[in-house]
Amino acid sequence: MQNENREEQDTRTTDAGAKPEPPEPDDFTPRYLDAAELTFTRAEVGTARLEIEDEVCHLRVVVRQLTPLSNPEAYISIAADEDTEIGILVNPSELAPESLKIVQEELDKRYFTPTIQKIYRVKEHFGIHEWEVETERGRVTFSVRGLNQNIKQVPPARLFVTDVRGNRYDIPDYRELDAQSYHQIQRHL
Amino acid sequence: MATAETPTGTLDALPDSLEKTLQSLDVPIEQIRFAVQSDINSSGSYGEEWFVLTDAAIFTVTGAGEVLHYIPYRSVLGIRAEVVVDAGLLVLETEAGTVDLIRYSNGCAPKFGFVARFIGDEIEFRNGKRDEAPIWDYKPEDHSCKSCGRLLPDEYSPCPACTKKHKVMLRILSYIKPYRGRAILYTIFLIVGTVITLMPPYFTRIFVDDILLLSEVPNVVPEASETWLGEIFRGIQPLTVALSVAVGMLLAIRIIGTIFLIFQQRLGAWLTFRIASNIRAHVYQHLHNLSIRFFDKRTTGTVISHITEDSERLQDFMLEGLSFLSVQLFLFFGIGSMLFFMNWKLACFVLIPIPIIVFGASWFWRKVRSLWHRAYRRRSKLFDVVNDSVSGIRVVRAFGRQRGEVSRFGAANIDARDYETHAEMIWATYYPPLMFAVQFGTLIVWYVGGLDMLTGGLDTPTEPMKLGTLFAFLGYLAMFYEPLRYVSPLINWASRSMTAAERLFEVIDSQPEQFDDGALKAMPNISGEVKFHNMTFGYESHKPVLKDINLHVQPGEMIGLVGHSGAGKSTLINLICRFYTPDSGRLEIDGEDIKQIDLKDLRRQIGVVLQDPYLFSGTIAENIAYAHPDASMEDIIAAAKAANAHEFIVKFPDGYDTEVGERGGSLSGGERQRVSIARAILHNPRILILDEATSSVDVETEKKIQQAIDRLVQNRTTFAIAHRLSTLRNADRLFVIEKGKGVECGSHEELMEQKGIYYKLVETQREAANVRAQAQAVER
Repeated sequence: MQNENREEQDTRTTDAGAKPEPPEPDDFTPRYLDAAELTFTRAEVGTARLEIEDEVCHLRVVVRQLTPLSNPEAYISIAADEDTEIGILVNPSELAPESLKIVQEELDKRYFTPTIQKIYRVKEHFGIHEWEVETERGRVTFSVRGLNQNIKQVPPARLFVTDVRGNRYDIPDYRELDAQSYHQIQRHL
Repeated sequence: MATAETPTGTLDALPDSLEKTLQSLDVPIEQIRFAVQSDINSSGSYGEEWFVLTDAAIFTVTGAGEVLHYIPYRSVLGIRAEVVVDAGLLVLETEAGTVDLIRYSNGCAPKFGFVARFIGDEIEFRNGKRDEAPIWDYKPEDHSCKSCGRLLPDEYSPCPACTKKHKVMLRILSYIKPYRGRAILYTIFLIVGTVITLMPPYFTRIFVDDILLLSEVPNVVPEASETWLGEIFRGIQPLTVALSVAVGMLLAIRIIGTIFLIFQQRLGAWLTFRIASNIRAHVYQHLHNLSIRFFDKRTTGTVISHITEDSERLQDFMLEGLSFLSVQLFLFFGIGSMLFFMNWKLACFVLIPIPIIVFGASWFWRKVRSLWHRAYRRRSKLFDVVNDSVSGIRVVRAFGRQRGEVSRFGAANIDARDYETHAEMIWATYYPPLMFAVQFGTLIVWYVGGLDMLTGGLDTPTEPMKLGTLFAFLGYLAMFYEPLRYVSPLINWASRSMTAAERLFEVIDSQPEQFDDGALKAMPNISGEVKFHNMTFGYESHKPVLKDINLHVQPGEMIGLVGHSGAGKSTLINLICRFYTPDSGRLEIDGEDIKQIDLKDLRRQIGVVLQDPYLFSGTIAENIAYAHPDASMEDIIAAAKAANAHEFIVKFPDGYDTEVGERGGSLSGGERQRVSIARAILHNPRILILDEATSSVDVETEKKIQQAIDRLVQNRTTFAIAHRLSTLRNADRLFVIEKGKGVECGSHEELMEQKGIYYKLVETQREAANVRAQAQAVER
């Protein structure tokens, strides 16, 4: 018990006392970007352009979510192309509003997965389930083959439905659907 | 302007309104080469948007006719279909920069992918980087039923909507033919058995009306019995004798019934297993004649489940379901007519609860089945957790995660418990009411029948019902309602079994690998000359994996196939084995088109040694002699010696009789490899294929294997694939494949001088080897 206490104190003193050395640039230390230094604009051809203050300007950046399921709002990886990461932006909401808007548009472009808000009906015909749903991207009808493999549950209550054409739909929490929608799918859970 | 052939037809037909819009832009409609519809608009909502390629430009236009992009075709440098999360994006590289052209959902990805490839090839062709104009050969994947257009529930399954269940049933029954006599006997047993089942209530009636009740009123002259058998019993005096005779008869009938049942069931089992095993044998035999393509489309699991699960399901149904169904059907109508025959008015009342029972039961089974299924899934999830943590028990301990694992199990356990409880409770709640509905009919009979007896005649001045008849009625009733409860699960069972049978028949109906049309050339002794001439091949014909391959291999020559993974090396080998046939061009062996060579002769003279050699369960000697089961022990030892396998085989306590276990599990990787080389040596092929034969073993073993291989390749035409280029040092020539094309060919020295792709590969491997060597030195 005593030991642990002393150790804790020790760490605290080192934390307070030691001045963090700036990390050497290398390939394996993640670079965290400072939102204040970033400016996103639209290039003439419509792609997202990124300027890092006093550094470089990238003509077409690729944005990716590092935790698209658990925390889509944070941890955005920004890359110069598919393979070259520039750095990680922990909290995009710290960006200037115009920049934030572009980042959000780019994310919207990359992460299409529509979220199912309302389920009008799920009907089965010979092993094919016809779904008619409302998503934030509009109303859509799709076919799901054999429900077992094509509905994936992420605990506790998130569902991913994959249709026959390879499109994936997200139900973030099936327990929060309205009663009618819930009724449509509860027997398939 | 691109001189490429204009594709005939469009991918999607452009609506008239859009054609007009485009014409207003001075785009003569004749110039439109093709249009592709996307299902997402640029703001990311579902909507209509079009990609249009004309002779001079690339457009995108909304469904309403608004032009979003207009890019001159000449200024396009490149195009690609970018894959994003659950959608796609067509991206153009233009002189002005990168343009995100159009978005589409995954559903449209195949056609946009094709468009990107086509335009990309056309641009390369225009710039002179490609010799031939791309060919427009887009074929959309279609997994819907050819006859009804419905999507198939499983891509390679027959359409359940179009499956004619009775036709499948007839086909199953056609397997009975060889056992016709027994089948007839079985049917007779079944009918007699059912008739006997109907006897006891009939005797109840006689017991009551014609024997027991007579003692109550001994002095009254008995009226005539309602049955002829009853009449006979009335003639027997005293009643005790009549009783003994009647009981004796019932006993005899029961004994006969039991004997019939024994024979019927024995015969049923005999027939069912014969039929099922014949179907299984038919499927299995057919499986080995099918082309490799059949197996490409299906996973090993699917194929295995075809022969095991489907035939088991079919067998179960035939053994239990079919006889149950036919007996119950027979009983249902038998009893039904019996009831009407005894008292048709009362029988009408009996029908009242039937709809309730049938609908209630089918609702009940649907509900219970889905609940059971849910509970079952929770349970299997629970087993997954156990499996996961027990297989990884060392990792769990090493990271001290025992508690975490226990709580993970706990959560899954409680989940399973809750679902199972729920399912059982629903069963407990709804099954008794169902039973009640079944018993309700009995109440009706008691009341209506009883009333009839008391008041005499159902509102009509006919003879009142007799007590015995009432008892018999009640006895039949129990049997009558019994099958109704199981109608729904039985129908389900039957339909699933028919689908299983259909899947089995699908295997039988699939095209076999080789047509035996007699036109194939027998080539018992090939010399091993192999020639590729402009050969192109793709597993799906619109995606060529090998393009315009030209290579002439002399008999006895060793060719090393070099290239990145996915370049097409293994595909080339598959073609030599004739697992597939070239789409265009020729592949010749000894100057003869491979399509014309008798497959048996061809395969007998081709030997393969694979990276992970497959050994069958059996002894080492049996495995070495796999291709020639009648090889002498001397031949086997000679082959093992040449393969450097003899030295370790003699050390095994059982020597050549050592069981290798499933997939050769009891041997090490290097040992298995050497056994497989011995197998190839004994097979003595003219053409030898080595696919990564030395990649998964340590250096010492590799040396031994390499030595064995060196002995094996002598005087044989050899194709060798190896990632470690040093193992190809004995090759006469190296053939370098890059993205499906043969790009370099020559000896090691020649290619090193060329400083092309091969040179780069060698350099990279040398560097990697150096780094490894340094790392090892540092470690020491």
